[in-house]
Amino acid sequence: MDVTRRNLFQILGAAPAVAAAQSQAEHAHPAPPAASAPAAYKRKIFDEHEWRTVHVLCDLIIPADEHSGSATSAGVPEFIDDWLDFRKHEDGDGNLAAGIQGGLAWLDQESTRLFQKDFAVAAPAQQTQILDRIAWPARASAADRRWASFFTRFRDLTVSGFFSSKTGVADLPYLGNKALSEWKGCDPKVWAVIEERMKNGYKSLAGEVKPWTD
Amino acid sequence: MPQVKASPKTYDVIVVGSGAGGGIAAHVLTLAGAKVCMLEAGANYNPATQSDMFKWNYNAPHRAAGSKAKPFGYYDATLVGGWQVPGEPYTSAPGTDFMWYRARMLGGRTNHYGRISLRMGPYDFKPYSRDGKGFDWPISYEDLAPYYDKAEELIGVFGTQEGLENTPDGRFQPAPAPRAHEKLIKKVSDKLKIPCIPSRLAILTKPLNGRPACHYCAECGRACAVNANFASPGVHIVPALKTGNLEVRTGAMCREVTVGTDGMATGVSYIDTKTRKEVTVKARVVVLAASCCETARIMLNSKSTLFPNGIANSTGLVGKYIMDTVGADVGGYLPILEDLPPSNDDGVGGMHMYMPWWLYKEQKAGKMPFSRGYHIEIGGGRNMPGAGTLGGSHRVLGGGYGKAFKRDVRKMYGANVHFAGRGEMIPNEQSFCEIDPNVVDQYGIPVLRFHFKWSDDEILQAKHMQDTFKEIIGAAGGTVTSVGNISRGGEIIHEVGATKMGESAKDSVLNQWCQAWDCKNLFITDAAPFASNADKNPTLSITALGWRTSDYIADQIKKRNL
Repeated sequence: MDVTRRNLFQILGAAPAVAAAQSQAEHAHPAPPAASAPAAYKRKIFDEHEWRTVHVLCDLIIPADEHSGSATSAGVPEFIDDWLDFRKHEDGDGNLAAGIQGGLAWLDQESTRLFQKDFAVAAPAQQTQILDRIAWPARASAADRRWASFFTRFRDLTVSGFFSSKTGVADLPYLGNKALSEWKGCDPKVWAVIEERMKNGYKSLAGEVKPWTD
Repeated sequence: MPQVKASPKTYDVIVVGSGAGGGIAAHVLTLAGAKVCMLEAGANYNPATQSDMFKWNYNAPHRAAGSKAKPFGYYDATLVGGWQVPGEPYTSAPGTDFMWYRARMLGGRTNHYGRISLRMGPYDFKPYSRDGKGFDWPISYEDLAPYYDKAEELIGVFGTQEGLENTPDGRFQPAPAPRAHEKLIKKVSDKLKIPCIPSRLAILTKPLNGRPACHYCAECGRACAVNANFASPGVHIVPALKTGNLEVRTGAMCREVTVGTDGMATGVSYIDTKTRKEVTVKARVVVLAASCCETARIMLNSKSTLFPNGIANSTGLVGKYIMDTVGADVGGYLPILEDLPPSNDDGVGGMHMYMPWWLYKEQKAGKMPFSRGYHIEIGGGRNMPGAGTLGGSHRVLGGGYGKAFKRDVRKMYGANVHFAGRGEMIPNEQSFCEIDPNVVDQYGIPVLRFHFKWSDDEILQAKHMQDTFKEIIGAAGGTVTSVGNISRGGEIIHEVGATKMGESAKDSVLNQWCQAWDCKNLFITDAAPFASNADKNPTLSITALGWRTSDYIADQIKKRNL
């Protein structure tokens, strides 16, 4: 819809300066060869073994579904490696990276103890057996709590890396970052849903939301 | 000794700084016919070619995350700047935790700022008379009102006529309609009897003076390539250059105001940042607009036989009573906003709705534990994803992974909201800046040392902010996801007050024309003259006050009094 609007700009010249600036901005920064350049990416933090574990873990958190591809197909391992290196320089220490690497090491230690295999090559049921212990922080045992913290951090990196990628932006979808000739405010279709929920209550991700009272 | 290069030409006016204060002074004075030399410490900046609008976060390093070099993100308009500027240190006294933000570029902080444009109200000019704390201004709202009109008509501000107490309306362009989360929060606010009205931002919703209306890409902080928002380079400086009366020198780091034997300012000396050579420029009038604390630094470094404590500092008040804005933030998750039909929530760069302070009567009646007000800034919506997007999902979902988790996280997009309180600080004796006796910057200029302390008024105000935001989130059926403590001094980047204006030469640095009592051809047009720091963000008031001062200068030059 908004592509049409932008084309209209160019055809009608309604906002030539904006259109020019927009196309200039797009040309100035040609999109890098999609998120598909893992081959060209040079690792800064993870070694070869960790790299394999990171791939497996990322796709366990965000697998492909009917909306979009998986975390690894969106370049999330590269994002995480680069992010940990960035924080190392910004924070003046490598504590975030160390915590993530320590968590990855624990996954292998625990998997070897239980299944005599590294985490990345364990069977899917074995991988989920371990993750189920640490993927819900409030449910984790006292002994597992620090590994639940590691997993929360890793999951946040994966989620943020995925949904801020080109793939993730299309998945959500985020529909902005374009020139509009007019701002209309909240879409009536959106407001109708909100009003319906205010009237009748709503079963949300965080539980039952009661109808509103004035 | 460094070689001193003298500029042969004498200007009518030197303006130090090119942001909101320097920009308006150069604009008004060149249009009035004065020959002006503007000095900017940073580089030239042209948003038409240098703005990063329309670029995608996923094409930037680290998804455009903020860093020490770019605190507001990779695409932020600030070329060189932040709370730390390479080669330009500052120090803090023991026990002080102060952050000093500087933007070294043409237009200064106007390139990236939030464009919030709120008039100070009648109470805000006479706070001492109202509650016995701080200082009154030597002018009233009526004195500045005509200049607020002019400022709004020049820079372009949208808003609505509301008639609320101490929240003056202005010459507004139409306000943009609210986004979904803002419409919802308005309903909640109505229930809680907190006023929630269209915000007032310096962004065009109608064309103005050859500038097009906003195209609603929400990224004003990256600078606008078409000047649809206000920033000094496109709105103040370009028209000033067109008069032929303005010369802009970039890479000119001002060191001191030079003084003649008669005690009048003769001009300034600056360091050319490329050659590190000292250059002097002469003028009939010197206007400092280097930003509140930088202006104080220049004055304190301008020592001479006549001004042993720095120029125009016979009272010892230069650098005293610095104020920032009080900040506290709370984030929340509103389930009613989850899994909505996709929509483009971009709009203008910033909130479309806000809450002005509403408890004036309770404060006046002594029913509140703190003395001054704050306003509430609203954030939320389906923003462009970047680093940190949808982080902390376990606070809502409890945890998880896999396909069901991916589905649920997707539904959370757009359901997070954010409330930021921005409140008034009362000036105090413990908050000031002075010259550090030991430390210099890379140009050999002595640097500032800060002292800063919040009083109970600010601490209790921040607590009230947190409680109010939690109440709003709760009333919207949501859960609180983050609570921020009171901001650090300087963190909100609203430093004002280092050269206060007043009624008398005994207890202020400047008179009502922002003219130094001790040196009549020295003026200040940044936020240093402010006698108080209302919760109304300073830029619009800098612009209005700077315009009033510049009109006075132009008039005095015409009358040959300067």
